[in-house]
Amino acid sequence: MAEGTRCSGDPLVGAGALGEALRALLPHTKEGLRLDLNEKVERSVVMLLQEAAELFYGGRRTECLQRSEVILDYSWEKLNTGAWRDVDKDWRRVYTFGCLLKAVCLCEAPGDATTVAAALRVCDMGLLMGAAILGNILIRVAAVLQMHLLSGKRPAQGPTLEQPNPKVSGTGLGSHRREWTPACGYPGSFTYAVLSPSCSADEEAGSGAGSHLWRWKARNDQVLAPDVELERTVPRLHCPSLEYFRKHFLVPQRPVILEGITDHWPCMKKWSLEYIQEIAGCRTVPVEIGSRYTDEEWSQTLMTVNEFISKYIINEPKDVGYLAQHQLFDQIPELKQDISIPDYCCLGNGEEEEITINAWFGPQGTVSPLHQDPQQNFLAQVIGRKYIRLYSPQESEALYPHDSHLLHNTSQVDVENPNLEQFPKFAEAPFLSCILSPGEILFIPVKYWHYVRALDLSFSVSFWWS
Amino acid sequence: MAEERPGTWYGFGFCGFGQALGSGRGRQVHSPEPLWTPVAGVDICRVSASWSYTACLTRGGRLELSGSASGAVGGCRDAWASEALLVLLRSRPGPGAELQGWAPGSVLRGEPLWSQTVESEAAGEHGSGGEAGARALPLLPSASAYVSPRPPFCRPLAPGFRARRLELGAEHVLLLDAAGQVFSWGGGRHGQLGHGTLEAELEPRLLEALQGLPMAEVAAGGWHSVCVSETGDLYVWGWNESGQLALPTRGLAEDGKPVGGEATGLPEEGSEVRAAGGEDGAPTPFIAVQPFPALLDLPQGSEAAHASCGSRHTAVVTRKYGQLGHKDTTSLDHPCRVEFFRDKQLPVEAVTCGPWNTYVYTVERRKS
Repeated sequence: MAEGTRCSGDPLVGAGALGEALRALLPHTKEGLRLDLNEKVERSVVMLLQEAAELFYGGRRTECLQRSEVILDYSWEKLNTGAWRDVDKDWRRVYTFGCLLKAVCLCEAPGDATTVAAALRVCDMGLLMGAAILGNILIRVAAVLQMHLLSGKRPAQGPTLEQPNPKVSGTGLGSHRREWTPACGYPGSFTYAVLSPSCSADEEAGSGAGSHLWRWKARNDQVLAPDVELERTVPRLHCPSLEYFRKHFLVPQRPVILEGITDHWPCMKKWSLEYIQEIAGCRTVPVEIGSRYTDEEWSQTLMTVNEFISKYIINEPKDVGYLAQHQLFDQIPELKQDISIPDYCCLGNGEEEEITINAWFGPQGTVSPLHQDPQQNFLAQVIGRKYIRLYSPQESEALYPHDSHLLHNTSQVDVENPNLEQFPKFAEAPFLSCILSPGEILFIPVKYWHYVRALDLSFSVSFWWS
Repeated sequence: MAEERPGTWYGFGFCGFGQALGSGRGRQVHSPEPLWTPVAGVDICRVSASWSYTACLTRGGRLELSGSASGAVGGCRDAWASEALLVLLRSRPGPGAELQGWAPGSVLRGEPLWSQTVESEAAGEHGSGGEAGARALPLLPSASAYVSPRPPFCRPLAPGFRARRLELGAEHVLLLDAAGQVFSWGGGRHGQLGHGTLEAELEPRLLEALQGLPMAEVAAGGWHSVCVSETGDLYVWGWNESGQLALPTRGLAEDGKPVGGEATGLPEEGSEVRAAGGEDGAPTPFIAVQPFPALLDLPQGSEAAHASCGSRHTAVVTRKYGQLGHKDTTSLDHPCRVEFFRDKQLPVEAVTCGPWNTYVYTVERRKS
């Protein structure tokens, strides 16, 4: 088979082997594909799943593919009904089932690179929106597809595959970033929907935050000048002990920058645009388009990492694109090996599996408007620098949070260009600020208001823990 | 009604479970096909379609089910089909009627999941296919409550509502009262409530944007809403991700698929998006969510008579020639006439949508 540049139409090297490799990942019989679903999933759907499984093991690929489209369309509607956090997990598993069958059916027969890329995109949809089935089989399917796509391809190229883009559009009313909003299908009825659960939609219990800036500063434990100015920098520590961090920052809920923690994380040496394209280039990820999520023009869309880099980082971007708040490391386990969970997370109450790890990857100039999150946050900076401003929850009134339920954790004030006539108290609110550089981790206490602007091409990793 | 003319029902769209679309077990029917009836000449007066099965009610009170649920039973006055529940209104000896909720799979075998006696509507109000609006399920005949596919199954309306018509979307409710006012409540994340926000409403809230405009009909889709005014104007609001509001949608424009003009009524490869801008090439804003009612102009300035919504599509019957303006889920974000009915000179009198299909009631044109 020919080596070298691939174009759509060329059969992939060993494409018959691909079909075999995929089938080997699946159970041997249709009984193995059976899902245990609760009564929320309607009988008609259960029938359809069984039928699709029978068709698959009966070798009736086209019909199985058609059924899987129906399964996808119907479960997609369920995923879009009600709030994301209320969507029954079994509907997400049904959705994943549809993705699995569709992806494998697409690749049964030898196909070209376009087909394999389409199958990989289907897997990514299942990973983004669905819930794990059969031991999280989609991860393994995606890995096999990715390997087949990359074999023979020269590394670190820009996007080479032309695909129609699945689109997601925002509401234009400044929808809350963390609540994914409407999706458009593209023809062929493969559609997708609401993505990650809203971090801030879950309810906070009480104010939580303990003593604050001013009281802490009155004590003389640390060498911090008593302060009457509004702007102060975030203090820095080099590898403090767990106990020191807990006593002086976690308990009193004070931000701090930790240095030296990420020194041995492989990402610090390995990560570059080329590496990211190599590891994740053909994978589909959610991207935010627009200066900030409070804007009318802001929207969300899905594209491959290669497309994102090409359109929004490298080639003179016309718009701001931000791969923001995405659990990339669940989608691509290989990347997870490049990072570690900070030890200080064990000071919390939750389990390690419950820690949410998000990737934040974008060009210079991305902005996250001033907002607060309901969990503690370690923000690790890997590539580039970010300007960050922090306001204590005590100052909430001076930050004029939006009224609406969707945006109640977001301030109305544009931090670096505030309208002081409209928001007069903002001018008097004290804050901390810093420039977070590669190798540093910022501790943002729960509900601490923060504003972030990227000064360079930037890649950050955040850890939300409790 | 002055004169009852015999009519025919047609259906098109998804029939993957073999529900009544004329051509048996298939996946989709692209061109309207007459509904098959077991007994010739039987007149179907109401069609209620759920995703995987369809319920057809004849004038004689016989209910026929096809698709993932099948069977037939008599003595029915009204029926409403959903995946979780089939609701029947059945005659009973004595006053009132029997409201029954059945699991679709076990309909007519065994016992209903629940049943209760309800007040009956006044005699003579039994609607024909064209008058499907009159106090139909899910609104109870007494108009004091409505059925829901999720518990509580029977939900009262506040006294003081003189409800004429009630429709259920995937997460919202629309109500039309005797004065022609529209109320909405439920989930609002896709703008389907029409109050200009994305907030949910727990209680019925009046659509202020429509105040002063008496409405004749309302229809609820999965996440969108449509109403028809007494003067034939059509208003749409809610989610437009597939063009179901007949407003330009980004997903279709950027597909690169060419779109034909009005000629094709149905989802075809090779249809062009007209929406991508005016004559001067200025970019048209794409609308993903329309949170306030928007007045929709139909082609040729037609007036709307009836409307029905599927999960993500909308069908409208216009007055002048009875054509159907119909948008398909996969490719159209502007109203497109279903040419089949025009070609056959079949005036359309009523339309009802299932989640993924459309049923249309036509009447023979009286020869003058």
